[in-house]
Amino acid sequence: MIKQLHIPLGSQHAALLEPLRLDFSTENERIVSVRSDMGYVHRGVEHACMNRFDFKKVPFVVARVCGLCAITHSTAAVLATEQIVECMVSERAQWLRMLALEFDRIHSHMLCLAHVAESSGYEALFMHTMMERERVMEAQEILSGNRVQFDYATLGGVTRDMDSQCAQALLAKVGALKSVLSGLRDRFEANWSTQMRFKGVGAITLEEAYRLGTVGPIARAAGVRTDIRIESSHLPYRALGFEPIVALEGDLYARNRLRLEEIAQSIELIERILEGLPEGAHLSKVRGRPKGEAMARIEAPRGELFYYVRGNGGAIFERLRIRTPTYANLKAFEAIFLGQEYSSIPAILASLDPCMSCTAK
Amino acid sequence: MRLERFRKKSPWILHYNAGSCNGCDIEILACLAPRYDVERLGILNRGNPKQADILLVTGPVTHRSRDRLVELYTQMAEPKVVVAVGSCTCSGGIFRHMYHVGDGVDQFIPVDSYVAGCAARPEQIIEGVARALEILEHKSHEIERPFQLRGPLYCSGEQTIRRQMAAKVSDETN
Ligand code: SF4
Repeated sequence: MIKQLHIPLGSQHAALLEPLRLDFSTENERIVSVRSDMGYVHRGVEHACMNRFDFKKVPFVVARVCGLCAITHSTAAVLATEQIVECMVSERAQWLRMLALEFDRIHSHMLCLAHVAESSGYEALFMHTMMERERVMEAQEILSGNRVQFDYATLGGVTRDMDSQCAQALLAKVGALKSVLSGLRDRFEANWSTQMRFKGVGAITLEEAYRLGTVGPIARAAGVRTDIRIESSHLPYRALGFEPIVALEGDLYARNRLRLEEIAQSIELIERILEGLPEGAHLSKVRGRPKGEAMARIEAPRGELFYYVRGNGGAIFERLRIRTPTYANLKAFEAIFLGQEYSSIPAILASLDPCMSCTAK
Repeated sequence: MRLERFRKKSPWILHYNAGSCNGCDIEILACLAPRYDVERLGILNRGNPKQADILLVTGPVTHRSRDRLVELYTQMAEPKVVVAVGSCTCSGGIFRHMYHVGDGVDQFIPVDSYVAGCAARPEQIIEGVARALEILEHKSHEIERPFQLRGPLYCSGEQTIRRQMAAKVSDETN
C-alpha cells in the first residue's frame, strides 16, 4: 500500500545552519514532491544600498549579504562600480583580490564538505575537516586582519598591502594545508563506507544541469564546463594559467570530489599568486561619482555571482541588483530531490550548499 | 539542588539564525569544532528548544523570523539564558533601520549576554557563553516572557500552561 506522508523540514532544524523551510511529500520513503520557502532572512540590503548608503560604503554593506562569500560580494560590487567612476586599479591590487577570493573558496568548500559529512552521519569526519579548515581561517586573518568579514576589497584596490613576511606566513599555511589534503581526500573518496553513502545519491544529469541553468560546483560536477574565472576578464585569472575542473557523474560523490579538487587547485593558484605578485600601489584614489551602468560577474564558491549597478551622477546608486548562485540553482534542487530517499535529504541538501542569506538578501 | 549545580556543567545550546549573514553562524560552528572545542566545557549543540539552556541568537531579527524566534524562546524551559552573538544581533548593526529588520534581539526577548563584533570571534563567543552561564546559575524558575508578540499565560491549579504564550504571534502575522 502506498501511503503519502508530508514531512516539513525547517525553518529551525538541527541539520540546518540557516532558516529554510522545505515541505516534502513522500511515498514509501521516496520524495514525490517538494516545496521550498526561503524568505526568512530577507533584510532588504539592495533597498538600503539604493537609499541610505553612498557608493563608497556599498562594498562593505553588500559583504553582509553573506558571511561565507563576503569577499566575493564586495569584490563584485567593487568591480562593477569601478567601471563607472574614474579610477585606475593597479595590477597588484587585482592579484591581491584574487588571492582573497581563492582563500574564501577554500574555506567555503571545506565548510560544505564538513557539513555533508555531518549530515550523513560522519561526525568524526566533520570534526576533522573543521579542524583543517582553521588553517585557512588563520591565513585569512594574516592577510586581512579578520577571520570572516574582512572587508578586503574596496574601491580603488584593497584595504591592506602585503609584505614578504606575510607572504611567507601564507605560504606556510597553504603548504601545511596541502600536506593534509591527501588524507582528507582518502577519507572522502577511498573510504568504502563513504562510497556506499555518496555514490549515485542526489544525481543530476548533464542535460538537466544544462537545461535548468545550474552554476558552480553543481554544474561542473555534472559535466557542464562553466567557470566565470575563465569566462570573464575582470580579474586576470588567465595569467595564472587557470583551467576549470569538471566531473561527470553529477552525484554527491562527484560533488565532494570536485570540491576537494578545487581546493587543491586553489592552493596552487594561491602559490602562483604569491610567487608572481606584481609590484605597485595597493590602493589608488577614486574620483567622481558613478554615472552610467555596469555589471560584473565573478565566480563565488557556489557559482556565478552577478552584480548590476546604475548611477546617475549622485552619491547613491539608482539601482543595484544582485543575482546570487543559489538563486540560479534553486530550480535544480527540485529535480535533484525527486525520487530520493528521505533519509538522504540532509546530506543532499548540504552538498548542494544552499546559501539562504545570499538568496534572500 | 543537585540539578542546579550540574546544570552549569553541561549546558545545551539552541542556535537560531534570525536573519544573520552567516558570518557569526560559521564562527559558532568553529567554536564547536576541534580548535576551540566548547564540548570540553560540556556544551553541546542540540536543535531542540525543550532541552536547551542557552539560546544563541544571530541576526537582527527579520520580520519573517521574529515569530519563530519568540516561539522558540517561549518553548524553552526555565531557567534559560539568551546570548546575542554579533553586532547586528545586539543592535541591528549594519542592518539597522533596513525596512525588513527589527533592530536587534533585545526588542523581542530579554538578552543576558551581548557579544559584539562583526563577525564575533570564537574567543568572544565562548566568553559570552561563559558569562551567560554565571547568570544561569543565579536564575530562578520564574517564567520569563518575551517583550513583544506574546500571548497570555494560563494557570490551572498547580500547573502553568504556556502553550498560548506564542499563539498570538501567528494571529498577528497570518
Ligand atoms: S554581526 Fe556581522 S558577521 Fe555577524 S551576523 Fe551580523 S552582519 Fe554577519
